[in-house]
Amino acid sequence: MKVLTPTVLTYLKVVILVAVVPAIIGFVVVLAERRLMGFMQARLGPNRVGPKGLLQGVADLVKLVTKEDITPSRAERAVYFLAPVLAVIPALTALAVIPFGPAIRIGKVKTTLWVTDVNIGLLFLLAITSIGVYGIILGGWASNNKYSLLGGLRSAAQLVSYEVPMGLALVSVLLMTRSLSMVEIVHRQGRLHLWFIFPGLLAFFIYFVSGVAETNRNPFDLPEAESELVSGFNTEYSGVKFAFFFLGEYAAMIVISCVAVTVFLGGWLPPFPHVAALKFLRILPPLGWFLIKAGLFLFGYIWFRSTFPRYRFDQLMALGWKWLIPISLANIVIVACAILATPGRSNGMFVLSYIFGGLFVVMFLLAKLRQKLARRERLAAIPASAVE
Amino acid sequence: MSDDRPISGPEKDQAARTADDLKAAALAAAESVPVSVEPPTLFEVQEMELNFGPQHPSTHGVLRLVIRVDGEKILETKPDVGYLHRGTEKLFETETYPMGIPHTDRLDYVAAATNNHAFCLTIEKLLAVEIPRRAQLIRVILDELQRLSSHLVWLGTSGIDLGAVTPFWYAFREREQILDFFEEYCGARLTLNCMRIGGLPFDLTAGWVERLMEFVDDLPSRIDDYEQLLTDNRIWKKRTVGIGVISGQECIEWGVTGPVLRASGVEWDLRRAQPYECYDELDFAIPTRTNGDTYDRYVVRVQEMRQSVRIVKQCIDLLEPGDIRGKVPRVIKPIAEEVYASIESPKGELGFYCVSNGTNRPYRMHVRPPSFINLQALPRLAKGHLVSDLVALIGTIDIVLGEVDR
Amino acid sequence: MALKRWLDRLTLLDLFDGLSVTGRHLFKKKVTIQYPEQKKLPSDRFRGMFRLDEERCIKCTLCAIECPINIIYIDWHNEKNPQGKSVKVLDRFDVDLKRCMFCQLCEEACPTNPKSIWLTTKTYEMAAYDRNDSLYLDIRKLTDWRAAENVKPFTVVEQG
Repeated sequence: MKVLTPTVLTYLKVVILVAVVPAIIGFVVVLAERRLMGFMQARLGPNRVGPKGLLQGVADLVKLVTKEDITPSRAERAVYFLAPVLAVIPALTALAVIPFGPAIRIGKVKTTLWVTDVNIGLLFLLAITSIGVYGIILGGWASNNKYSLLGGLRSAAQLVSYEVPMGLALVSVLLMTRSLSMVEIVHRQGRLHLWFIFPGLLAFFIYFVSGVAETNRNPFDLPEAESELVSGFNTEYSGVKFAFFFLGEYAAMIVISCVAVTVFLGGWLPPFPHVAALKFLRILPPLGWFLIKAGLFLFGYIWFRSTFPRYRFDQLMALGWKWLIPISLANIVIVACAILATPGRSNGMFVLSYIFGGLFVVMFLLAKLRQKLARRERLAAIPASAVE
Repeated sequence: MSDDRPISGPEKDQAARTADDLKAAALAAAESVPVSVEPPTLFEVQEMELNFGPQHPSTHGVLRLVIRVDGEKILETKPDVGYLHRGTEKLFETETYPMGIPHTDRLDYVAAATNNHAFCLTIEKLLAVEIPRRAQLIRVILDELQRLSSHLVWLGTSGIDLGAVTPFWYAFREREQILDFFEEYCGARLTLNCMRIGGLPFDLTAGWVERLMEFVDDLPSRIDDYEQLLTDNRIWKKRTVGIGVISGQECIEWGVTGPVLRASGVEWDLRRAQPYECYDELDFAIPTRTNGDTYDRYVVRVQEMRQSVRIVKQCIDLLEPGDIRGKVPRVIKPIAEEVYASIESPKGELGFYCVSNGTNRPYRMHVRPPSFINLQALPRLAKGHLVSDLVALIGTIDIVLGEVDR
Repeated sequence: MALKRWLDRLTLLDLFDGLSVTGRHLFKKKVTIQYPEQKKLPSDRFRGMFRLDEERCIKCTLCAIECPINIIYIDWHNEKNPQGKSVKVLDRFDVDLKRCMFCQLCEEACPTNPKSIWLTTKTYEMAAYDRNDSLYLDIRKLTDWRAAENVKPFTVVEQG
């Protein structure tokens, strides 16, 4: 009798995913964030619990679990309880369609490194991740705290503004992939020998910004806004419920990174697999490449957090509606035109890559030059007596 | 949850003394409560009263603001101060003149040296004593170091208020170094007590000047780092440009001094306007800007830090061996007189007004605290802005609650 | 001009500039002092714990008079020494450390040379569980380090 039927395997993968992702969050992501932020801020970060602070996650978990779980007396109890759950479940569910690697064979068992390959994977992701924000809105409302309410409202505004550009950015990629299945997207990047980040540079940028905004991370962490709303939507939450919000936020971050890796950075593929000189890169298993790319993306999150001030919520909306949505619409037109105008199925993408890449480099150099001149001007404007 | 009691509660209670008055007050209170049971319609403005502080991460201490908001838009701000009141002014009256100096440390506790300086300057004016040149120069060095450290604290905390966490750590790294210099000079890091009536308690230690020179040579490059993080940053600009605009004329009317005034285009700096110690022989610029918004106040303070570095360097060059204490009697008993002396503290004009009556204790001491007077302008600055901006505005007027509440 | 502004807006150079600062600091030397293992050496003038030299003290009470918050309590009585001379003997010399603000005015007021009461002891580890007992210094605690169990003179000097 065969025990490991595909159904059993799927259940197994789900269990592993649900067990492993929170553990990764607790042990790796949170610790990496705190330590890297520490390093960027000329300090060491947590390094006391366990060797080099590696067990900090355990300590945090123990602290959060043993803490008193307080429900404010005038809170809306059912919703107050439901909100943290709503924040976590969608984020973990979304991981089901992420292909972490190609089909592999362990001993006699052949399996895939994704739980399921839905043919509308991308749509499913967009739909399910947008549910996560309800946790924040409802949590803010149910706490019966004015600061929490403001945080929840901000979150609602943010969701409305940034779901759209995110979806539009992915649409422009869909023009290139011709499929919504996450696995097919990666396979196509492999066949084309081209990651979609190159023709979709603009789309990637828009996706990144909206992704940061979607997950309420700095510089878009308005619903929390420590210094303004004390802690925003989770002011009243403590103990396990707070841990759930925490987990939800980081799981959402991981989902956004995984989608970015799959759609734009070639999923589990090593860089430039068709170049013979780079063959040695295949030493690392595909899963390893996937994790490295996702890690880089997460590093970007952390880097952003330690560098930028926070937007104000009306400015955030203005950025979304006045800049990102028009740009992403224009991007769709550009991509569509490029694909239609050039002969062949994929030539347009290469053309686009060159255009975007060239444009970016030229603009960057120009701006660098301009900045240098502006600094010189500014120095010249200060009276000579005031300059060192 | 919303407590409709106005801040001036006790006065109101006092007014309603008789039973009739109480009845009338109850009726009036009942009238002021909206009677309509109809739920508010969708487009009706619903005001909310928000209690901002005293326990709030960005009120820089125990400032309490009662704000009325429409959504996030601020309609009215009422600062409620006094949570840190310790009766310092009364305390001065109970003690001899030299014993007052440690108490001044606790006014603006991030800038203790300038407080000491203003206090000593007032008593010295009362006694009409001459301060030796070396003491003057060292006082100026300590003042400017204190200005640097105060501005660094301001830079870090106002950065955190707007969500930029990293400048805080860099600024505090440099501030720690400045505090090391203070510690080496006078033995304390925060509450310095580093000046005495007539001069200074100690001479500099060996090697202090050289190390300080090394530090101030390095500091401009550190300031460049902060500027690279913030000055051109579009988010920082968005959060600060055009926020809390106040004109120079209005500043003068409110009595606002310091960087806030200079950012509104008024070139008024007591170091230049009524030079004390040896500021008149030093070469430094007074940075001013014209827009009077939060961004300009930021730029003015950063430029002031650069100017402080210049002043410290010049003072180090001018230092010569000499006395550090003027001729002051052991028991200080000034004649009955009233004096006011003020200096340019990091926050603005810090003045002490002293009435003496011929004994060894002041008859009355009054402090003119820049933080308190600048804070008055907050409701005016905050009106019409959003809750997020309120945080930026509290940061930008750079208050220290020890000084506000005294 | 407008073109320049557009260029600035589109290239995000200001943001990259900020990122470069934090990125640079990622590899710079860290300034953290790992406290219980590494300790910062206080300067020579550091105002730490009180010390009293009972023999040098002339019981003039100037320190108590000069104290701005009156936390020094001194009592003494006259006693005949073996030579038959009348000398002052301390009954009580208490410093209520928990209210002390470490202003050093007492040390400055002390007329003996070297000072009989001094603060420059290079210690800052004065945390205690019971402030009424541990932070109230009598003659025993003022003259003997061992008596004040929570305070140790500064010995470990390591800086990272």
